[in-house]
Amino acid sequence: MEQFREKFKEEANDLISDLEKALLELEEDVHNSDVTQKIFRIMHSLKGGSSMFGFNKMDKFTHHLENVYDLIRNNKLEVDDNILNLTFESVDHLRNLIQEDNDDDTENQEQHELLLQKIKQIIDKEAGAIDNATIQQIDSVAANKQESTYYISFIPNKEIFKFGTNPLYLIDELVDLGEIKVFPRFDKIPDYKITDPTHCYIYWDIFLSTNQGINAISEVFIFAEDQCDLNVHKISESNLLKETSFLGIIEETIKSSNKVDVEQLKDLTKDIESIFTKKTQKKTSKSRNQNIDTSINSIRVSSEKLDNLINWVSELVTIQARLSLYAQEQESADLTSIVEEVEKISRRLRDDVFSIRLIPIETMLTRFYRLARELSGELNKDVVFKTEGTETELDKNIIEVLSDPLMHIVRNSMDHGIEDIEERKKKNKPASATILLKAFYSGTNVVIQVSDDGKGIDPEKIRNHAISKGIISKDVELTDKESIELLFLPGFSTAEKVTNVSGRGVGMDVVKRKISEIRGEVSIDSVIDVGTTITIKLPLTLSIIDGLLVQIGETKFVIPLSSVNKCFEFKQTVLDNAVNNLIRTENEDIVYLDLRDLFEIESLQTDTSQIVVVQYGDTKIGLAVDTIIGQYQAVLKPLGKLYKNQQSISGATILGDGTVALIVDTNQLIMQFANNETKIGG
Amino acid sequence: MDNKKTDNNISTFLSFRLGKEFFAINANNVLTILELRPITKVPNSPDYMKGVINLRGNVLPVIDMHLKFGMESLKITKDTSIIVLSVSIDNEEVQVGVLVDAVDAVLEIKSKEIEEVPTVGTKYKAEFIKGIFKLSDGFIMLLNIDLVFNTEDILLVENTEK
Repeated sequence: MEQFREKFKEEANDLISDLEKALLELEEDVHNSDVTQKIFRIMHSLKGGSSMFGFNKMDKFTHHLENVYDLIRNNKLEVDDNILNLTFESVDHLRNLIQEDNDDDTENQEQHELLLQKIKQIIDKEAGAIDNATIQQIDSVAANKQESTYYISFIPNKEIFKFGTNPLYLIDELVDLGEIKVFPRFDKIPDYKITDPTHCYIYWDIFLSTNQGINAISEVFIFAEDQCDLNVHKISESNLLKETSFLGIIEETIKSSNKVDVEQLKDLTKDIESIFTKKTQKKTSKSRNQNIDTSINSIRVSSEKLDNLINWVSELVTIQARLSLYAQEQESADLTSIVEEVEKISRRLRDDVFSIRLIPIETMLTRFYRLARELSGELNKDVVFKTEGTETELDKNIIEVLSDPLMHIVRNSMDHGIEDIEERKKKNKPASATILLKAFYSGTNVVIQVSDDGKGIDPEKIRNHAISKGIISKDVELTDKESIELLFLPGFSTAEKVTNVSGRGVGMDVVKRKISEIRGEVSIDSVIDVGTTITIKLPLTLSIIDGLLVQIGETKFVIPLSSVNKCFEFKQTVLDNAVNNLIRTENEDIVYLDLRDLFEIESLQTDTSQIVVVQYGDTKIGLAVDTIIGQYQAVLKPLGKLYKNQQSISGATILGDGTVALIVDTNQLIMQFANNETKIGG
Repeated sequence: MDNKKTDNNISTFLSFRLGKEFFAINANNVLTILELRPITKVPNSPDYMKGVINLRGNVLPVIDMHLKFGMESLKITKDTSIIVLSVSIDNEEVQVGVLVDAVDAVLEIKSKEIEEVPTVGTKYKAEFIKGIFKLSDGFIMLLNIDLVFNTEDILLVENTEK
């Protein structure tokens, strides 16, 4: 049972996220009936699941919540801010409830009671409407005159128990709907020797007379639909179960055959009643087909399995490199062509497998909308959160790490960046401020930018603050950009007063650290009174990169291809005579760094050197190495904890011959060098 | 670790030689022993961090125990070996290779045979040595290996003694 509960928790979390998203949609357009339907459906699934897995509190809670949305979807209640706020709070509460293992948590309990009360108030307030509703309902029942009889064929899949569904509970729910005759069928139970106790072999033929309509029946099965073969047929417009002749007929049919022939049954009851309308039948079967389609379009796979898959692909890529090397040594044309083929396939396999783990950043944005919505009220600011390029995809692991820092950035923007409404009026800015989150691809990187149109960052203020905190000394001269970058230093929090929105002691240094953990970079641009833009540049995936394999002395290095611009060959004498490390390439002068000096490795070659030109921000910088070996797909392996202080090397990879090559983090390398340079200079 | 269990508890140790001295590591920490193979030096790292090697497709850092213990850099001979250990660093299991002059023997040592480290007269900080096991012609220092790797210090030598 515990594992089912876990599974349900997982599912419930997804449902709650969907709910939150739908609510935000609803806020945009309160009259959108599709969305209210969706909200109702999600709540219903939550309710069903939670009752089945013993989340009693959640069951009751969603039940009341569902009632509210039932009223809304039946146009008996108007969506207003009150309801929306309450539902948002409820969503948060549901998140807590699902994590609750027992019902003892008092803090939750208080919130629980409070919310329940509020929900009930809403329903009570609409008491008049409800009275109307019940009258209407009675009317409609009256219009239908009497109960109808349905035949339900319920054939659970063998695997149904694995989804934690207990068929008997479903039947119990049916019993609540009206008068019922249930015929369990045991003919599919195999010999006990081969019976698998985890499988369900029993199926049911059910006759139900109810005044609740076919929808009420489908709703019972709403979350078991994919795990059973369900057929609901209306066989009569009256309560046949009261007719003894009918009872005789069905008992006869059940006994004589394993399968109830609906048509035959209908024929038999024809005399007693008219046949049900074909139209509704078509409708239900159509909607069921749609459900089947969506369930095939996507499947749920645990991320552990995906991680395994990626590990295997990484191994394959490593082995393939060995094979390529071997083929080269053999100098056999046949072998070479096969190896090339294998290389092509493994590359495609790699790309496809990695794409599985890519998810659009849209998935994490819901909470930002909410954050903007809630903080707007709290801070008396009017902020619109906009997004662009949310379909941009990133590795799941990156998204997971990213969401906290992004949250912090948005918070900062709202708290410090954006002025309150009066101040904006004074500055002739539109009262409503905008925070724009923009994502786009740039080479093999994904760039995420968060920009606001707030008051911007005053570099002077930052500088003074840094001096007062003793982070820099008074006589240090910094450009405005460098001053702003001081924000990333540990122990820097500029908020003059600490609010509970930002300034909790964690600052931009944590943002920076988190982002560099996933090999990303972050930078700030800001113009006073125009706004601030924070740019995060991230790698597409974490584990395999395309690189340029180079050699210095006896050590091989991989330079990520994404940052490589061009390569040139130079006579060593040219380098030796270069003034200020400046060398002339095609049409521009570039600064070069001699990796042999930086890495303290003796060069084996003396007459020529290769310069690999890499992009660093807006500038190009040459890296001098001994030889360039060629392009190489590098499976990134961490250097491990013992090398945690190593900054210019971001990892290692195993080469075809089994030796280890080191992966150069060009940005860190250049940054380190630049810092050294300024230290030497000043 | 608590060593004061019953006196007859037998632990297995792997002993190795560094220069002229013998040390031993609890066999539970030892994963495998490798012959010397090419080591890729990682630039700009401390000297005792010899570099990395390929261990079954993973990257394994290798440490020169000579330098870690404050001896002169190890001279490679045909006996030079890499002992692959699993140690816990900041509560995380980490694999690391240590470069030693020679692997010596596997010893089964009873708890009561382990003697306390004398407070004076040893070259090494007492906290890194769990105990001493006496042989007829010398002694073996049993290392507290987790502690050895949880310090970034290069030397284990007590500063006061030379």
